[in-house]
Amino acid sequence: MLQIKELKAGIEGNQILKGINLEVNAGEIHAIMGPNGSGKSTLSAVIAGKEEYEVEGGTISFDGKNLLELDPEERAHNGIFLSFQYPVEIPGISVSNFIKTSITEKRKAQGLQTLPTKDLLKMMREKMELLSIKKGYLSRNMNEGFSGGEKKRNEIFQMAMLEPKLAILDETDSGLDIDALRIVANGVNKLRTGDNATIVITHYQRLLDYIVPDFVHVLHNGRIIKSGGKELALELEEKGYDWITKEADKKWA
Amino acid sequence: MGLIKNIKSYSEGIQISAEKREILTSFLSNGFPTTKDEEWKYTSLKKVIANEYSIENKGEIIDSSIIEKYSLGLKNKIIFSDGKLINTPIIKGVNINDFSEFESANTDSILQLNKALSQNGFTISVEKNTVLESPIEILFFSTTVNGFSQYRNQISIGENSEVKFIERLQNLNNSASFVNHFTQINCAKNTKVEYNKIQNNTAESQLIDTMNVYQEQDSTCNINTLIFGGSFIRNNLNFEQNGSNCESNMNGVSILNNNQLADNHTFVDHKSAHCRSNEMYKGVYLDNSKGVFNGKIMVRPDAQKIDAFQSNNNLLLSDTSSIDSKPQLEIYADDVKCSHGCTIGQLDDDALFYMRSRGIGIEEAKAVLTYAFASEAIENISVEQVKTLAKKLLAKKLNVDLDFSL
Amino acid sequence: MSEQKRQSEDELLEKVTSSEYKYGFTTDVESDTIPKGLSEDVVRIISAKKNEPEWMLEYRLKAYNAWLEMEEPNWANINYTKPNYQEIIYYSAPKQKPVLDSLDDLDPEMKEMFDKLGISIDEQNKLANVAVDIVMDSVSVATSFKETLAEKGIIFCPISDAIQDHPELVKKYLGSVVPARDNFFSALNAAVFSDGSFCYIPKGVKCPMELSTYFRINEAGTGQFERTLLIADEGSQVSYLEGCTAPMRDENQLHAAVVELIAMDDANIKYSTVQNWYPGNAEGVGGVFNFVTKRGICHKSAKISWTQVETGSAVTWKYPSCILKGDNSIGEFFSVAVTNNRQQADTGTKMIHLGKNTKSTIIAKGISAGKSEGNYRGLVRISKGATNSRNFSQCDSLLMGDKCGSHTFPYIEVKNNSSKVEHEATTSKIGEDQIFYCNQRGIGTEAAIALIVNGYCKDVLNQLPMEFAVEAQKLLEISLEGSVG
Repeated sequence: MLQIKELKAGIEGNQILKGINLEVNAGEIHAIMGPNGSGKSTLSAVIAGKEEYEVEGGTISFDGKNLLELDPEERAHNGIFLSFQYPVEIPGISVSNFIKTSITEKRKAQGLQTLPTKDLLKMMREKMELLSIKKGYLSRNMNEGFSGGEKKRNEIFQMAMLEPKLAILDETDSGLDIDALRIVANGVNKLRTGDNATIVITHYQRLLDYIVPDFVHVLHNGRIIKSGGKELALELEEKGYDWITKEADKKWA
Repeated sequence: MGLIKNIKSYSEGIQISAEKREILTSFLSNGFPTTKDEEWKYTSLKKVIANEYSIENKGEIIDSSIIEKYSLGLKNKIIFSDGKLINTPIIKGVNINDFSEFESANTDSILQLNKALSQNGFTISVEKNTVLESPIEILFFSTTVNGFSQYRNQISIGENSEVKFIERLQNLNNSASFVNHFTQINCAKNTKVEYNKIQNNTAESQLIDTMNVYQEQDSTCNINTLIFGGSFIRNNLNFEQNGSNCESNMNGVSILNNNQLADNHTFVDHKSAHCRSNEMYKGVYLDNSKGVFNGKIMVRPDAQKIDAFQSNNNLLLSDTSSIDSKPQLEIYADDVKCSHGCTIGQLDDDALFYMRSRGIGIEEAKAVLTYAFASEAIENISVEQVKTLAKKLLAKKLNVDLDFSL
Repeated sequence: MSEQKRQSEDELLEKVTSSEYKYGFTTDVESDTIPKGLSEDVVRIISAKKNEPEWMLEYRLKAYNAWLEMEEPNWANINYTKPNYQEIIYYSAPKQKPVLDSLDDLDPEMKEMFDKLGISIDEQNKLANVAVDIVMDSVSVATSFKETLAEKGIIFCPISDAIQDHPELVKKYLGSVVPARDNFFSALNAAVFSDGSFCYIPKGVKCPMELSTYFRINEAGTGQFERTLLIADEGSQVSYLEGCTAPMRDENQLHAAVVELIAMDDANIKYSTVQNWYPGNAEGVGGVFNFVTKRGICHKSAKISWTQVETGSAVTWKYPSCILKGDNSIGEFFSVAVTNNRQQADTGTKMIHLGKNTKSTIIAKGISAGKSEGNYRGLVRISKGATNSRNFSQCDSLLMGDKCGSHTFPYIEVKNNSSKVEHEATTSKIGEDQIFYCNQRGIGTEAAIALIVNGYCKDVLNQLPMEFAVEAQKLLEISLEGSVG
């Protein structure tokens, strides 16, 4: 589904990603871990198409398409969803209105008819239940005055509504208490099918107790320096990053 | 008319250049600004200029006890008596001289008059890479009864230098003296300047103070204006940012009573990208006093990434006090964050009640709250002696004896 | 910002600035027009054409003489070539006579025009429960629901009719809030106004439907000088709407209207405007000069609420104001002003607090795009006697593109120490992170801007009556077309 080859990218002349290789197939969950500043959020921003980041080399293909040629909204229409580390406030626009616009635009791009409001509301109610979201939430303004947990839950709610092929959860767990974390993880798990894939970016192993990854990658200084199964996350939790980062630093020095 | 006539007859007896003569003639035909002039809409000079003034100044010798009384006791003191420079400190890297001519951009008629008539003031130039530990204190004493004086000062700060100033204009009699004061500061690259104005003159004193600050890249300039005494005070504070990463900060506190009037006009001209300005003016008005605030932030085309913040907060504490405020934003670049806020109100009744229920008398409670209100701007002053004096004067003006040092 | 992004924004702005004015058609309606130019004779002709009583002619002539002495104001932050007042036609009326009682008899051409404007003057109208007065060029051409309103004692008619039928009311109130001498344009209006709407709501009556006036400049070379007088007697309530459009012409057309509102004790007036005069083309050729004086007076416990959505006109000079004379009275001003291309707007409000416990709220949202200039200019004056008064003002400006300007000029004057005034203003660019967030959710940049702008204006749009809110939203879309969809 997603193939990243030798991806090099940076911002304002600073190279942050120095050659990323990653393949994600349908049905898989990948976890990307790594210390602060290793390039995790840059990677998610580049996949989603944030324009401040300049791609200096390498390729990203998604379902055979060259992702780098697409605008951010086109990437979204093709099924890429990024759960933001810091979801953005949009004053004056209700959650329901925002999601309606989002779904309408996506359907338009796919040549589908606008979803009748009745069906949309029904779908919203179902997904709200899935994420234990209370009534009244739909009429609140997008992320305005939301607590950290509410913002993250709002991200997963949108993910549930948009049904992406590839979801990237960028530090979705940070700042969540254990109950909120369970609800969010539960939501992600329930949305999992054989046709979609998820990339979980985190630096806490804790989330991976709830969202069990098939693969774990360690990102350090712009490169994936180690990949493994879910047991790698546990090892990292126990030993920290130093044992692999030191080795890698030597290698790339 | 009083002052205009005084100026006219004085100017007839002096030798000045043809250029100055021309400026003066034009001033005399136009006169002082009136309230029809947008910049003087809320402040009338009518009464100020109706008085008779003496323009020739005597320049008496000032007793050292007087100097001690009005000085903050800092070692570097520049002292003027009726415009005559009577003391200059010797500081490494700093050249301090008497008045010298310089060009000023502002075409304001009051500055024109200053340019035409000024023969007094200081010229300070700070060499590159000079960091002064101790601030420079500048004292202007006037001894002439009903004197009308023009001071014209210039400060040039060399690259990478850091200097702080404290300025005080002091009338040594109780007459209605009037000073037309102008200071120009040129801040070279990467300089840091703080200029503190203590405006606590005698009850009848009058002042128009204009300061033009020109900043080069990476410079920071802070101007603090503390207004306590004087019957009429008009401050024009203008910043021009001519390089990236400049920062201009202004703090002002006015505590007025009786029939005092204080008008603070500020203007920040953001001409370069990636610059900042912060402005905080606090006013407390008692008795028949009147406050005017006019703050303008201008962002020129292509001066992107500007953060400009301005606030003007006022407390009206008597039913005959008043305030006119005109905060303005004029923005010609899009990638900016500019805001202004203005509030006019009273002390919080709930807070007053809370304090009284804890046994604090109403006057003290009011003073504490007023102090708390004004202190935000005072806290930004970095010279401890100025901060302490400001607190002392504030307490005195509020007529309470409280130790605010806690 | 990356080059790519700058480029796509430029394209977007290009698109925004090239959008067409939707109401730019002209209608071929035969009209009765007098020669251009202004003189005492012209004033007399207008008065005669309207069969006006002597007192009305005197009122006009007095205003005309005052106007001759006055100078066109130049304190606003706008640049335009002052109109040549001798080149303007001061009276033009569609030749259809007399004013119809039933809209079914309307000239088909005109009916078609109103259909194009999207004004429902028949069936839909009844459903929407809006009574409409339509003023084309200088004359009121149709008023609906007269009878229904008459049952409640409400008078809603062209002001020319009111001068004939209710002279006592007109005489008493005309010029009582905006005197002819108030300013250059109000003097001009008082001299030459040919029509407009008149409305009187009797004591204690709650007007059962929205009242609406639609203004249309059609004829070339004409100025439009309408006059609106609205009196809400004690304890009454009314919601009034006005909308306006004009054809696309290369010349600048002058619109100098005066609106006076009188809210007697306990009365409540809500006055909403969606202003969409022709803004001129992308190069700034043509467009309407909109120089309007709007003011209301509130007596005891009365309330006047102005809401405006200003998207049109080449130049706007307009400050809907409230004189809060009575104790406990309330004034409100909610405004969205959009300028694009070369449009200029200098708009805001004046809240004059005279009575005790008076309250005012100002919410002004400016959006500037293209090479336009948007100005907020406002006055809050708390007089000495206005004990315990309150004002809150919030003025925000949103900038789209680096060629436009946005300016804020508030004047705050407080002479009472028991009153509180709070003023806040911000100027910022439309948020890039907001746009990217929307993009990531599949919402294209244009739609994202539309969404963000709508959210930004929500506090104001919410003040509009339902039917109008939808129209206003559409208008915002059209004025920022390409970016708002």
